[in-house]
Amino acid sequence: MTDLATDLAVELRGVSKKYRYFTLDNIHLKLPRGQIMGLIGANGAGKSTTIRILMGLVHQDSGEARVLGHSMPAEQVAAKWDIGFASEDMRLYDSMTLGWHMSFIQSIYSTWDSAYAHLLLKRFGLRADQKIKGLSHGQRVKAALLLVLARKPKLLVLDEPTTGLDPVARHEILRELTNVMADDSRSILFSSHNTQDVEQISDQITFIDRGRIIDSMDKEAYLDRWRRLRLEVPLGIELPALPGIIGVEQQGRLAVATANAFVPDLAQAYESTGAHVQRVENMTLEEIFIANVEHSREEVEA
Amino acid sequence: MHGGFTFSQSDKRPIYLQIMEQIKQRIAVGDWAEGQPIPSIRQLAVDLHVSVITVKRAYYELEREGIIVTQHGKGSHVASTPGLGTRLNEQELEQHLEQATRIAAQLGMRPKELEDRLREAGDRLAEKDLI
Amino acid sequence: MRGSMIRHLILKDWRLNRMPISLSIVLGLIALLVAQCGVEAVRLLGSVWFFISLCVLGSMLPGVAIVNERKKQTLAFVMSLPVSSVQYTIAKGLSILAMFLFPWLTLLISALVVIETRDDIPHGVIPMLIILAMLPLIGFCIMSAAALVGESEGWLMVASVLCNSSYWFAWYLLARMPSLAANWGRPVAVWNPAAFMVLSSEVGSIALIMAITFFFQSRKRDFI
Repeated sequence: MTDLATDLAVELRGVSKKYRYFTLDNIHLKLPRGQIMGLIGANGAGKSTTIRILMGLVHQDSGEARVLGHSMPAEQVAAKWDIGFASEDMRLYDSMTLGWHMSFIQSIYSTWDSAYAHLLLKRFGLRADQKIKGLSHGQRVKAALLLVLARKPKLLVLDEPTTGLDPVARHEILRELTNVMADDSRSILFSSHNTQDVEQISDQITFIDRGRIIDSMDKEAYLDRWRRLRLEVPLGIELPALPGIIGVEQQGRLAVATANAFVPDLAQAYESTGAHVQRVENMTLEEIFIANVEHSREEVEA
Repeated sequence: MHGGFTFSQSDKRPIYLQIMEQIKQRIAVGDWAEGQPIPSIRQLAVDLHVSVITVKRAYYELEREGIIVTQHGKGSHVASTPGLGTRLNEQELEQHLEQATRIAAQLGMRPKELEDRLREAGDRLAEKDLI
Repeated sequence: MRGSMIRHLILKDWRLNRMPISLSIVLGLIALLVAQCGVEAVRLLGSVWFFISLCVLGSMLPGVAIVNERKKQTLAFVMSLPVSSVQYTIAKGLSILAMFLFPWLTLLISALVVIETRDDIPHGVIPMLIILAMLPLIGFCIMSAAALVGESEGWLMVASVLCNSSYWFAWYLLARMPSLAANWGRPVAVWNPAAFMVLSSEVGSIALIMAITFFFQSRKRDFI
């Protein structure tokens, strides 16, 4: 029996939500089981709202949200048994110890792995007898992650898990997140504006800007579509507009063309007009993100 | 077995290419023998802390080049073609020679000059006992 | 499974709020001790203090147990657990009600015991005592409802100010009701129809407040 719905860990279809100063517009998102999705966007782009909708904490105005096969927010209780959620604006109880929180979670979820929890304590450099109020920002983030990781949920939903962390802590967390992937029935959806982290561990990438999804697809295929072409343009030659090129910046005789649908023929096309292609470069996810956002904002304003 | 893989962020090439190169190096050098099993895609992804899809891409391209073989349900191994390590070394040599030729052409060097330079480089390395 | 999530949340709340609960019980008991002293003025002071501690407890608990959860942003943590907003409201409502009822009953029962054991207090005051003691309980329910539905300190403060300023007015009115006041001095507690009516409307208003709270909570589309 192939039930498509259950092969997707997360599915959002036409989800919209209107606030006074912000609108989330027609969000489509698909995360297959066993994969990691990185949700990238500037601050205020709508990452947190999208995540809250798929956690059932906020009721969308229109559209369907299905998480692990459950319709949200109607079936949020059933879904949350298998979801581990941690968000940047979530806090643990200051006056209680990390150990108390661990016992609390353990008393609720039968999937709690004590051995793994203690291993994480060591790896993250935390102590169970510490009160939450005595922890630094980085330690709090790690504490919250420990609580969701040790439960081994089928889906991890993390809102900015590495924001504000030092490089060592970030590395520790990325390592634990990729460890989750050893089990191909488990999935992760995380939001970040740290493009490096997203580029490293995501299987799927979704770009969101000003409440709209700009792109959502397979990371490797996506990275492959983008190139920077460094051109030398002799005097008198005007660069043609080519399909797959979203922008050209020219200063004097040097130009940089940004392609979002690169094919090797594009370099040929430029050469045939008399321009000389010095280099064809891959772009980092950060460069792609910025180029993409600028391009989409121009399109919206046009 | 898979320790020692590192990625440079200053290396602008995609991670899957870096993985491919490092796997080829291990085969070329002989650390990974022909026919030897290699980590599954998922396992390597976990060990390297990178996305599964990146390792999948690397393995896919390596398989296309005939360097590794992936059998559904049985994992992956280095291709059993004899002389694979040698072939990879040859490929790398070809690439370097092409590049050297291209740069020499840019400098306006004639083939004879390039030959002499190559010999000189060999002598220098021999002096330092590096070959 | 559902019932047990509510139980977990209630126990969690009790564990978190051990301090405020103990504090209010202690205050109340001190008030009662004072009420036992012979001098009339001191006894009056004690009774006033008794009611004040109940009122203070009534306004403190919603702040500590409800509004703080939003302010300190621990609500997201709770809602990440397998509970719905309705279950959260039930658990929260039950836990703070229990937190309030525990000291409230302790104090009320202690007051009744004092009346029983002392010869110089007529039992006629008992119905009045109970009716007056219900006032902080009603106020507590109103303030908790405001905290839960209003989601902010602002709403809690409004409700708090309204309730605290109304207690004395209500007390004044009730104490002046001829059908109630007439029986103060009697040696036996008299439960006449007037007393029953006042008491049942007090209980009824609590039920109404709870129903309204659930109605609004269940209709919220943006719980966080």
